[in-house]
Amino acid sequence: MTFYQIPRNSLAWMLASQVAVILPHVTRLPVWIVLVVIGCVGWRTMIYQGRWSYPGRWAKVGFVLTGLVGIPLGYKGRVYGLEPAVSLLVVAYVLKLLEMHLKRDAYIVILLGYFVATTEFLFFQTIPYTLYMLVTVAMITASLIGLNQTQTHVKPLKTFRLALILLGQALPLMLVMFVLFPRISPLWSIPLQSQTAKTGVTDSMSPGDIATLSKSDGLAFKATFEGAPPRFPQLYWRGLVFSKYKDGTWTRDDLRPSVWRHRQAVPGWVDQIERVGQRYDYSIILEPTHQNWLFALAATDIPEDRDVAMVREHSLVYIHRRGVTSKFSYKLTSHLDYRLEVELDPFFAYRNTILPIEGNPRSRLLAKQVFAESTSHEDYIRRILTMYNTEEFVYTLQPGALGRDDIDDFLFGTKRGFCEHYSGSFAFLMRAAGIPARVVVGYHGGEYNPNGNYVAVHQFDAHSWTEVWLDEKGWVRVDPTMAVAPDRIESGIEAAVAAEDSFLSDSPLSLLKYRQLLWLTEIRLQLDAVGHYWDTWVVGYTPAMQSAFLSEYLGNVDGKRLGATLLAAFFSLLGLVAIVVLMRRSTTPLPAVDQEYLKFTKSLARAGLERLVGEGPIDYAKRVKRQKPELADVIDEVTRLYVDANYKLDGHGDLKALKKAVRAVKLKALTLNS
Amino acid sequence: MPAKPLKRTFDKWLNKRMPPANSVTLNQRNVFILPTREGIYFTILIVCMLLAGINYQNSLVFALAFLLFSTLMVSILHTYRNLSGVTLQSAGSKPTFAGDDAEFDINLTRAGVRTYEALQLGWQNDDLTGADLVEDEQCLLKLFFPTSQRGVLNPGRLLIQTRYPVGLFRAWSWVDLDMTAIVYPHPVVAGPLPGALSGTGDGDALQRDGVDDFYGFRDYQSGDSLRHVAWKTYARSDDLLLKEFATNVDRRVWIDWEYLSGDGIEVRLGKLCYWVIQLAASQDEYGLRLPGIEIEPGRGLEHRNKLLVELATFGLDDKDKPGESL
Repeated sequence: MTFYQIPRNSLAWMLASQVAVILPHVTRLPVWIVLVVIGCVGWRTMIYQGRWSYPGRWAKVGFVLTGLVGIPLGYKGRVYGLEPAVSLLVVAYVLKLLEMHLKRDAYIVILLGYFVATTEFLFFQTIPYTLYMLVTVAMITASLIGLNQTQTHVKPLKTFRLALILLGQALPLMLVMFVLFPRISPLWSIPLQSQTAKTGVTDSMSPGDIATLSKSDGLAFKATFEGAPPRFPQLYWRGLVFSKYKDGTWTRDDLRPSVWRHRQAVPGWVDQIERVGQRYDYSIILEPTHQNWLFALAATDIPEDRDVAMVREHSLVYIHRRGVTSKFSYKLTSHLDYRLEVELDPFFAYRNTILPIEGNPRSRLLAKQVFAESTSHEDYIRRILTMYNTEEFVYTLQPGALGRDDIDDFLFGTKRGFCEHYSGSFAFLMRAAGIPARVVVGYHGGEYNPNGNYVAVHQFDAHSWTEVWLDEKGWVRVDPTMAVAPDRIESGIEAAVAAEDSFLSDSPLSLLKYRQLLWLTEIRLQLDAVGHYWDTWVVGYTPAMQSAFLSEYLGNVDGKRLGATLLAAFFSLLGLVAIVVLMRRSTTPLPAVDQEYLKFTKSLARAGLERLVGEGPIDYAKRVKRQKPELADVIDEVTRLYVDANYKLDGHGDLKALKKAVRAVKLKALTLNS
Repeated sequence: MPAKPLKRTFDKWLNKRMPPANSVTLNQRNVFILPTREGIYFTILIVCMLLAGINYQNSLVFALAFLLFSTLMVSILHTYRNLSGVTLQSAGSKPTFAGDDAEFDINLTRAGVRTYEALQLGWQNDDLTGADLVEDEQCLLKLFFPTSQRGVLNPGRLLIQTRYPVGLFRAWSWVDLDMTAIVYPHPVVAGPLPGALSGTGDGDALQRDGVDDFYGFRDYQSGDSLRHVAWKTYARSDDLLLKEFATNVDRRVWIDWEYLSGDGIEVRLGKLCYWVIQLAASQDEYGLRLPGIEIEPGRGLEHRNKLLVELATFGLDDKDKPGESL
């Protein structure tokens, strides 16, 4: 069996592109897989350099076994999911390197390379990543070209250049397809859940959770407003509503669905929300959370998107049906003043006052005493808030541990807490007094970027507050943090915890830490705005976005018209590219002097004096002069200039004079003909 | 087989579209282009990427799929460009003996300064010769065609193809350069020529390397005297030939069909062929008698070839005989 010899040029690019493609994946790969990658690529490089030979059967079996065992080992037995799937792909990609015996194998490696490069976009979609992936795609393409070049003139950089030319010519076509190719909703649901990427608010809240989240400078979402955004204190981004309190943890109500259906309020209840005050139209681009809840200001209309649904709780909580696995953009309309559920179903009123049978006795006692002194529910709330405000409560990112009776410990012991301590204990005190109350988690505030008119909300903006049900008012937002640390609500967490210097203490390099440096902030906001446009128009170009965009520019678009437009635009552009490609004389243009000389030989050829193959310029001139003595002087001139330009050491020669001489020859040769 | 009539129809269509010609320049009329197997795999990859893009609603995966598709489309143009404009020209053929490979010379010329890389030429799909027109404007290719029987060999259409630059498309053309090659009979070893020395012999052996009379050319072999090299011919054609002189041309030998009565026609011709070769290496004058044909004895390479051509085409239709050019 004779082995196919992959051209070295191609193989060099193959190895380089492989490293480039896998590099961004490395942090997500189990260490075993990284070892397999290093082993295979290293081994192939040694073969390439002629130091080693192909691995024997046992070495290959070793690599395969390491891969097969390494994946479940690295993901703790989880073999079903996005990361294990990518790992498997990577293993196949590098193992195939050691199995390249036919030309077809080389093609398989290259195609796998393109696919592994694609999977990178499932994790990151920023501009720098996209540019990087573009370079790796060019490298893979170079290895593809290398396979089809004649081996005698291979220069790796020339190959890469050709790859760039190909991709460059494909780029305008790609843009047309990107804008016009009909985007459709997913064909089937993907169960692939990413494990590592889960960030942000989770579906339960116990003391310390949000304080931990507040140490991250990761972006949660960006909201772009049409017109001016609401003032900072009003930016309560609702995420989840927790109505159940047990063992120190707030969670969503876990009623069985059948009960919910039975208890469902009259259809159209959303329309009965009374909306007052200013209306805000905005769209949100949510970073992938791999969870399914969405964030919105209250009170919001249901977005017109088949992926978005209102959940069963009458709590204005929205979910994404499949989970947000990549950036998700949705449009919303909100009225910050509203009245929600003025008539509260007694069943739900009851469910929002449930407390565990025992635990936290001092807090219960306190609630009983204060409630007895209060004149109304509002008065009770006021008294409790005053307590937070006047006693020595501290708003801190380092609250310290609490014992079994966490609320007692907090209210009467440490008195140090973050928003979840205040909202949790406040809701507890409300329920202890029989007032329906629930905890809301989400984000508060955000950084307004005037360059893009959007509000960027980061993980450290995570917040929790409470909603209390009052007669004739419905659900009312009460934020106990406001009573303790008004700074948090007025200007954000950074100001609120400035004294203890704990803001983003875990990420010393975060640019967000240096918001007091104005010039740095300006640059950061500019970059951020560019990224935001990218997210809005490129990453966020969803089916909904596409139909909105197209109907604005193409009018009424149906599938037929869109298809016709796509084909027409694509093929007319392809025609343009064809002109460029076919008019191009060669991939490496000849030097100008050579082009002139060729013109010269052409005009002489027309006069019947063709230059023979392999005939040097001087010999050619001699022969032509012999046959056409009347051209002798001009021919000498051209030949001298051309030879000078090509063979004299001082370089470029006189192109202008050469051009002139060539023109003279052309004229004389023409007159000679006639 | 049902493929046969289909192929015949195709050949007919090809002949009408691209009639045989001495020189053919490739253009949109005679270049075909279709995806290769790898091109189809590549398309499947794009479809997979598109599915991933749809299911993850990931715009950048879409973008990459579109980029690869556009590259595929653009590569059609590049592949076509790498073939169109090439001129193929027949540059003659060399006669051979049946059983050996006939050589066909083909001249490739590029149009202007456009460069061509990784061209492949051949009579059959699986045995292709590579060619490039990058540094040189022209390139002379020697293509070989296996022969099995004497006569005038027409190798049929010549395949020229390229997969450059990405191997996802193959552009090709079937070119008929109207080339033929003479295939001499396969020499069959025969005994000494019956009645060999039956000429009118003057008695003296012919003395090669004489000095008196020029009698022909032969190929230069190392060790030959440079004095007798035919420099004029060399200047014209690059063939290094030696002028041969001889004294005493004195023997006339006939190679006669009638000497061999028992064998079949092909074996007879093979034996006659063998004798022609033998005698050409000697210094005898020899002639050939075939039924209906008689060629007066003579000497030299030209004479030898003339006889061999007669043997090659003996009994074949006139239209199969080579023209005056031979």
